[in-house]
Amino acid sequence: MLRLNPVARKRLERFKAIRRGYYSAIILAVLFVLSLGAELIASQRALLVVYEGEWYFPTYGDIIPGETFGFDYRYETDYKALKTRLEANGEGLVIMPPVPYGPLETDLAVGDFPPHAPSLETKHYLGTDTSGRDVLARIIYGFRIALLFSLLLLVFNYLIGVSIGCLMGFWGGSFDLIFQRIIEIWSNVPFLYVIMIVASIVQPGFWTLVAIMVFFGWTGITWYMRTATYKEAARDYVMAARAIGASNSRIVFRHILPNSVSTLITFVPFSVAGGITSLTALDYLGFGLPPPTPSWGELLKQGTENLDSLWMVMSVVVAMTLVLMLVTYIGEAIREAFDPRKFSYYE
Amino acid sequence: MSAYFIRRFLLIVPTFIGITLLVFAVTRVVPGGPIERMMTAAMISGEQAGARRDTQSGNTLSEEQIQQLEAYYGFDKPILQSYADWLGKVLQFDLGESSRYHDPVWHIIKERFPVSIFYGLTTLIITYLVCIPLGVSKALHHNSWFDNASSAVIFLGYALPSYVVGIALVSLFAAHWDVFPLGGFVSDDYDELNTWNKFKDILYHGTLPLIAYMAGSFAVTTFMMKNALMDNQAADYMRTAAAKGLTRSKAVWRHAFRNSLIPIATSFGGNIAFFMSGSFLIETIFNIDGIGLLGYEAILERDYPVVLGILVITSLLFLIGNIISDFLVALVDPRIRFGEAR
Repeated sequence: MLRLNPVARKRLERFKAIRRGYYSAIILAVLFVLSLGAELIASQRALLVVYEGEWYFPTYGDIIPGETFGFDYRYETDYKALKTRLEANGEGLVIMPPVPYGPLETDLAVGDFPPHAPSLETKHYLGTDTSGRDVLARIIYGFRIALLFSLLLLVFNYLIGVSIGCLMGFWGGSFDLIFQRIIEIWSNVPFLYVIMIVASIVQPGFWTLVAIMVFFGWTGITWYMRTATYKEAARDYVMAARAIGASNSRIVFRHILPNSVSTLITFVPFSVAGGITSLTALDYLGFGLPPPTPSWGELLKQGTENLDSLWMVMSVVVAMTLVLMLVTYIGEAIREAFDPRKFSYYE
Repeated sequence: MSAYFIRRFLLIVPTFIGITLLVFAVTRVVPGGPIERMMTAAMISGEQAGARRDTQSGNTLSEEQIQQLEAYYGFDKPILQSYADWLGKVLQFDLGESSRYHDPVWHIIKERFPVSIFYGLTTLIITYLVCIPLGVSKALHHNSWFDNASSAVIFLGYALPSYVVGIALVSLFAAHWDVFPLGGFVSDDYDELNTWNKFKDILYHGTLPLIAYMAGSFAVTTFMMKNALMDNQAADYMRTAAAKGLTRSKAVWRHAFRNSLIPIATSFGGNIAFFMSGSFLIETIFNIDGIGLLGYEAILERDYPVVLGILVITSLLFLIGNIISDFLVALVDPRIRFGEAR
């Protein structure tokens, strides 16, 4: 079990006392863990097949060819057809996930041309998009990708920001001056516009997009860390540490970093929200992850091009509202836990 | 202090060069040869975005366009030299010629500016007119039902990015209920209308985009005002004011309110630049013919003279906006002395 110092423990208690933020954190954590197992919630593969006395769990691993279950093809089994067949003759059992569609699976069998409206009967609970892919499945997988994307972005941004910012504050001098100028340039670059220019030249994949966004996004944290390090380095305990002969690296890693990094956590929720927002915006404009990656932005784009099919836009808007509200509630609560202001009036 | 601001203005030069050189280099240092890249990319995005574009513009670059681009970027020359050529032209207010319209870039941008400025200024004015009183009353009646109810609504605008608000508004109010138009700045028969109807027409088209524009800045400004005023109400000088017998309202209006405007002033310059250059997301959603939509289309069409031209103007606006912010802060807060105690 992690041992926290008294200040951190007090902050954690204060955070827990802010019910709205605390419950939001729990809900978001549950949603995230659920999305990690998205294959168990939305997939064209069955959760469990009992066929001729044998048990199969097709969700993860290699595809099981149709021959295994007595079909006459060798590509992946159509579990929905298998379920219908086995239910009809009672030879076995198929349990499908709650959403029996994968994010890339096109369902053209039902009625006329896609997009199809939401329907309980076809189990497209939120309808399909213009290619006949299930909206709910794409929202679930899109959520996982967006959240993982923003977390990665956050890790890289903070790694670069903390190391460069700390060195700027600790060394000062010409290193500080050079990076000050660089940051001034970087922070005045119109972020989304330049990323669009870059992404229009290099067709980005997942990792290229992370790299591009880190390349233009590391400055905010760097600037904050520089100031924080400056403040800490000027305090008496640093001088005391130096007086007893502590090395530079010891002062940085044992004293300055632990004291300045803890407040970085107040920025984390807003960085995550920012990551989700920019990724969705880029996808919406067509400069984000390559199709057919499930993505909220791409769904929004389809929705605005087919405004008669309101379910596409509304599903994304509701999902985004929910997630961003949760993130913002957490952010506000963390901020309040770190800075409990007591307001008073004089009348 | 004036020395400080002169230095700030001089610092615009290296920063501006840095920004444009960065983007210039990015458009050049791309594996596989930029021109071929542009051609293949133009084909790919042409297929993706086919629905949005008119078929006239075609999917590949013509021979003429390639030559233009080569001449424009000076691909035979090293980056720094061709950048220097480009910068030299910019200094003479020559942003080059659009490879799409064959018009000078400056003309195209100038044509689109009024629309972006209209939305920018209106948003700015409404935001400050509404947010400052709202923030004040929320601070004075902290934790009242009015405070909590308005917080809930404002929080939604705070959490959601403005483009999501815009998309939701368009699909509900324009497409589904048909209350407002789907987009555009004015109706087709705008020129034949009388003044009153012109005003109504602009308002009719402008309501949804304005709400979307305001959604973001509205929440930030209101909360900023509220928090600043609450902080100041708890300050020591307010105790002094109460001790010498001022009523609460007098103390608030004469002392706390003025000090609370400082953070608002800080955000003013940034807001100016942001609204002037328009938001390409909102302009794309509502199909408003402003700077933002122009930039977006220019990127799609690989019209690099226009892309760089817009970058020049928006980055200059941002740089100047930052200085205006600092100047305003120094103006409302005499305690701040830039450049002396740093």
